[in-house]
Amino acid sequence: MSASTTPRSTRSTPESDPALVAAYRLGDERAAGELIGRHIGALGRFLYSSGADRDEVDDLVQETLFRAFRRLATWRGEASFRSWLFTIGHNLLRDHFRSGKGHRVLSLDDHELPGQSDPHSDLVAGEAEERIRQGLAGLPRLQREVFLLRTQEGSEYEEIAMELGTTPGAARVHYHHAVKRLKELVR
Amino acid sequence: MSDCGWLSDRMPAVALGRSTWTAEETSHLGGCRWCQDEWDLIRLSGRLGKDVAAELDPASTTRAVLQRLARSVEQARVRRKAWGFAALAGAAAAAVMVWTGRPATVPSPAARAPVVASLQIPLPELDYLLPAELNAVLQTMDEPYVGGSADSPAWADPDDEVLDSGFDTLEG
Repeated sequence: MSASTTPRSTRSTPESDPALVAAYRLGDERAAGELIGRHIGALGRFLYSSGADRDEVDDLVQETLFRAFRRLATWRGEASFRSWLFTIGHNLLRDHFRSGKGHRVLSLDDHELPGQSDPHSDLVAGEAEERIRQGLAGLPRLQREVFLLRTQEGSEYEEIAMELGTTPGAARVHYHHAVKRLKELVR
Repeated sequence: MSDCGWLSDRMPAVALGRSTWTAEETSHLGGCRWCQDEWDLIRLSGRLGKDVAAELDPASTTRAVLQRLARSVEQARVRRKAWGFAALAGAAAAAVMVWTGRPATVPSPAARAPVVASLQIPLPELDYLLPAELNAVLQTMDEPYVGGSADSPAWADPDDEVLDSGFDTLEG
């Protein structure tokens, strides 16, 4: 867990996720707004980095949050609220791809991006980004989450371990496996 | 040949601008192909989706999510109500089936008699009679039979005197 479960006392101190969840469950809609504001960016980046199309991210974020809040009672706090959102988002994205609504923009073996009119460096960077997205989408869930928490949030292994309900050593192993696989894609 | 990995743990913090390379690290990075590849990966991953996240609007998303939640609560309430009615209707139908399927019971003579006495036969031709005329007609009619049935003890087991009296009437 990333935060303590101290009850809310003042407005000036940031409230923990469990406290906000408890407040929302008691009918405080402001708590929902605060939770969403706190995690929406990371959730959007996670979904996009996991292979969601740019124009689908908004809908997928909304659907993920709706599903999460609808079954908030099932969040036991073993993992962080953010990690729980990521899990729901991951499942949603997987169903999205299975149903054929989502489409992968680039094959892992495809080295050409059609229709790009940007300068060469942007093209190369854009192509590499797409390869990373493809690669991330193909990683096991824990490897992907550890990698994104480390590279996008700058989290240390101890924090990641608490977030994902694992050990720092295991988080480190997941990270290095992910790096090894993804490195092949940006060469 | 295995990966170098000497700068691995430092890369995310430097890529996110929370730290900087030392001179020694910079020198190593310039000459290590493994670390260069990893550095490219970490830098690209660190900025992946940043612009997408910036386009998300927390306020409108919160409004939309709360509206959907309110609608889903209302829909669940209506569904529960509908299921309640369906269950009630099912129970009522079952009760009717059980009731109509039960064996017929024979009413006792005491229960049957008032039914006969209160039997109403519509006679529209009497509807236009004045009360006095109606009374006159009623007086000419027999009293309604409210007694026992043919298997009453008086007829079922007549004594000799009753039988003789009956035979006398028949023979003239």
